[in-house]
Amino acid sequence: MRRYWAVLALAALAIAGCGLSSETPRQESAPAASGPAKGKVTLQTWALKPKFTDYVQGVIDAFEKQNPGVEVEWLDQPGDGYSEKVLSQAAGGTLPDVVNLPPDFALPLARQGLLLDVEKADPKLADEYVTGGIDAYRFAGLTGVFGYPWYLNTDVNYWNSELLAKYGLDPGKPPADLDELIEQARILKDKSGGKVYLMSRKPGLGDFADVGAKILADDGKSFVFNTPEAAALLDKYRAAYKEGLLPKDVLTDAYAGNAKLFAEGRVAWTTGGANYIDSLKTDNPTLAPKVVPSAAMGTPPLYVQGVSVSAKSRSPQAAIALARFLTNAENQAAFAHLTSIFPSTKASAGDPFFSKSDGTNAGDAKVIAFTSLAKAKMLQPVQFNDAMRKVMEQQIALAVAGETSAKEALDTAVTKLNELLNQ
Amino acid sequence: MKPGERVLRYVLLLLVLVISIGPFLWQLSTSLKSMREDIYTLTPRFIPEHPTFENYVKVAETIPVWAYAGNSLVVAVIVVGGNAIGATLAGFALARLRFRGGKLLLGAFLATLVLPGEVTIISQYVTIRSLGLADTLLGVALPGAIGMLNVLLMRTAFAAIPREMDEAAIVDGANAWQRLVRIGLPNVRGMLSVIVIFAFIGAWDDFLWPLIVLNDPDKFTLTVGLQYLNGTFSANPRLIAAGTMIAFIPIVIVFAVLQRFFFRGVEEGAIKG
Amino acid sequence: MTAGHGTLGRARGDAGSGRHVRPEPVPRPGRKPVANQRWFTPWLLVAPAAIWLAVFNVWPSINTVVLAFTNAKPIGGGHFTGPANFRRALNDDQLADALLNSVVFMLVCLPLLTFLPLLLAVLVEKRLPGITFFRTAFYTPVIASAVVVAVIWGWLLNEQGMINGIARQLKIIQEPLPFLTDRWLLLFSAISLTVWKGLGYYMIIYLSALGNVRRELHEAAAVDGAGPVRRFFAITVPGVRNTMLLISVLISVSALRTFTELYVLSKGTGGPGGRDMSVVMLIQMYSRGFTGHLGYASALSILLFVLTIGPMLLLLRLNRKEA
Repeated sequence: MRRYWAVLALAALAIAGCGLSSETPRQESAPAASGPAKGKVTLQTWALKPKFTDYVQGVIDAFEKQNPGVEVEWLDQPGDGYSEKVLSQAAGGTLPDVVNLPPDFALPLARQGLLLDVEKADPKLADEYVTGGIDAYRFAGLTGVFGYPWYLNTDVNYWNSELLAKYGLDPGKPPADLDELIEQARILKDKSGGKVYLMSRKPGLGDFADVGAKILADDGKSFVFNTPEAAALLDKYRAAYKEGLLPKDVLTDAYAGNAKLFAEGRVAWTTGGANYIDSLKTDNPTLAPKVVPSAAMGTPPLYVQGVSVSAKSRSPQAAIALARFLTNAENQAAFAHLTSIFPSTKASAGDPFFSKSDGTNAGDAKVIAFTSLAKAKMLQPVQFNDAMRKVMEQQIALAVAGETSAKEALDTAVTKLNELLNQ
Repeated sequence: MKPGERVLRYVLLLLVLVISIGPFLWQLSTSLKSMREDIYTLTPRFIPEHPTFENYVKVAETIPVWAYAGNSLVVAVIVVGGNAIGATLAGFALARLRFRGGKLLLGAFLATLVLPGEVTIISQYVTIRSLGLADTLLGVALPGAIGMLNVLLMRTAFAAIPREMDEAAIVDGANAWQRLVRIGLPNVRGMLSVIVIFAFIGAWDDFLWPLIVLNDPDKFTLTVGLQYLNGTFSANPRLIAAGTMIAFIPIVIVFAVLQRFFFRGVEEGAIKG
Repeated sequence: MTAGHGTLGRARGDAGSGRHVRPEPVPRPGRKPVANQRWFTPWLLVAPAAIWLAVFNVWPSINTVVLAFTNAKPIGGGHFTGPANFRRALNDDQLADALLNSVVFMLVCLPLLTFLPLLLAVLVEKRLPGITFFRTAFYTPVIASAVVVAVIWGWLLNEQGMINGIARQLKIIQEPLPFLTDRWLLLFSAISLTVWKGLGYYMIIYLSALGNVRRELHEAAAVDGAGPVRRFFAITVPGVRNTMLLISVLISVSALRTFTELYVLSKGTGGPGGRDMSVVMLIQMYSRGFTGHLGYASALSILLFVLTIGPMLLLLRLNRKEA
């Protein structure tokens, strides 16, 4: 429990004015990207050791060879506690020169002037990276792009073909929308005597966006998803829950809760990234071969990872060069060949590796995900933080459980979220 | 002890055992499961189908377990030593010596139990940085080196010594230090071993604080280093369980060794004093 | 001196009770002897602890107080907003729910965790073959990681879990009970988890105190024909009275500050509508991440501090009586 205090603690640093320099936001002009890069730069990645040690070290070695004056120090941070670690680095003025930050981490840092606008330093950005990747690092109210897009991912549907077949459903024809899902869930429930479920999660912001509800107003200053369409969707879920088509425990399931239910064999459907079958091979090897993937219902979500450059870097040219090198087409393609992620560079779009399955279900999932990426969108605004997610889940759970009306839950959620947004 | 009582005691012991041991067993069995076996199932499977020590070997191959454990040990030794000395001295003074401001100080120690703990890390980080101890094991150990709860526990233990023993020593002309050594310490060995356990476990298990203080991977403590088993696209619950079991062993040893001292109480001390 | 029934009410081990019943025929006539002690000796002894108290506890708390009057965020400063955060707290319906939960937590946990660990300590106190194993095993829940605890308790309590399964087989219930999603059932599940974890923790504190309860008292009472139950209440309980006092304060404080148990069982969501949050979960929810609301979180921590000081003062009062 102690870990959560760190955030509060570190935050106070800035205010207590303990001689730390993060208090004054500053917008540094980007250095001219000319002349040879020199100096020592630190690169911080997120939980890539030890599986990708060789890969990352290889990239660094190649970079150092290409830029003889530059020395790279690589830090890999543990998976847990990363936001607290980055926060402490930001507050303490020790942000690494090149740092792996998802867009929602980058936004607050960019607002404080801690990140470089890489578009300014690197005008050719748009030619090389896909628009969705670049846009993830453009923030309302700020001009510029605050990170090089790195790898991308999206969600794919995964079905337990054994359970589907056993209870009278065709694994070859999985439901393609919510109505079909509910219909098949009913069949599964009846045939399995209520032992197995098909539906495995509460609706979220992405589902609302999908039925045409606008999530965030254009100025980014208020949430507006309390529309009749969203309420109607929520009502469908409520009816399904009442009918017993969802496990009761989904009311308090958080992110990835459906994957756990799926692994346990309690539900026959889950969503997950392109690499899900690989991790299932580790967790539940006997289940993995029975899984059949299909494309996400509605608009697939876009998940973006990127690397940002610290505005306080002492060797900004070397840092930019490194960020660029790490995310270039060649290095991204090599990375994506090691695990099921996708490059954010345009050059990789034609790579047959991503568009041809090797015939395994994991290979199929990769191809489905790659195809989905073309229409994938970031469904959750970057401003959507932990507290908001929690409030949202709580209100949706109330509505699904039937304790408040859908409209009331959505109105409450919007009110509370706006309060949080404008604090 | 009558045979009936003995049987009853064992029945009760086994009953509590069943209740307590679940998580530990599951962790142990997960760490012994082979790659062919499922981890997440509808009902728990405590007995591995194909038990293997492979996971332990892999953990040792993946991370420098010994080096990390060594770092953890350095931190734990400092924390245990600090608490054993600091909390004992303060606990003795608060319980057995009368001095102006003593009550007030006791109140302050008590109040820290309810102080908003959420803030403590703030100043800890600032202080540690300003002491130049960021990225050092000493910096990790320092804030926990005297726990306020431990001071209170030691005070309670010292207060439990019959006043007469003290008074007899005073009549004999013993000063405060002599009374602490001759009467106090022998009588509080039970509580001392309890706070040693608390201090050791607190230092050994802490994750976020060392993560924030340390940057250099060579200085990582075991809990932080074990996170390498939980990497992006590469988490294996068997390895994580094996790593946790490895981290668990020293705690079990410390506990098993120290628990025999829990009972050295007044009587033994009375004989010696 | 033998202890008759009349004096059984107080044991000698505890200084707290020494005033009521003088043990051993030691009592010296006249004044208490005066200690041979320099004025600065006590200060020398408490100095290290006092320095730690000031540097690592008191000083950081000042920051919270400052933050509570601002709209600070984790990075970048905040502005002074006066009592706005406190006003907001007064109208926070989730805070009201959280406070109610904390009170229920405290009322249930206090009696259970004051007595059950003591019974457990008495059970493992006797040296029996294998007792070290049992003592160690009983302590393992204290150090089990939250992730593992979540897995195990999930198996017990989920809709298709062991408890629901057994209860349905025995036809006690028709429909599974929502242990993990109902407002009150979830709260009581979390309380069970707290008690389960607390057993081993408080057991070892009690164990060290039991060493101070004199064996002669038990023997004398046994000679007088007192059964185990009577001896427990007449000798053991008074013998560990001071420890019990400290433990009950620790329980109250940690019940008011409960976090992990509710967090783990509700998977961090705080239940439908967020009605199963504790105050600390609220603080965590508002403070966490890059865009947390530190000011409000700090104000909540100060409110919590004020609330928890109640049990603390009670202990101080009892302490004064004893001294």
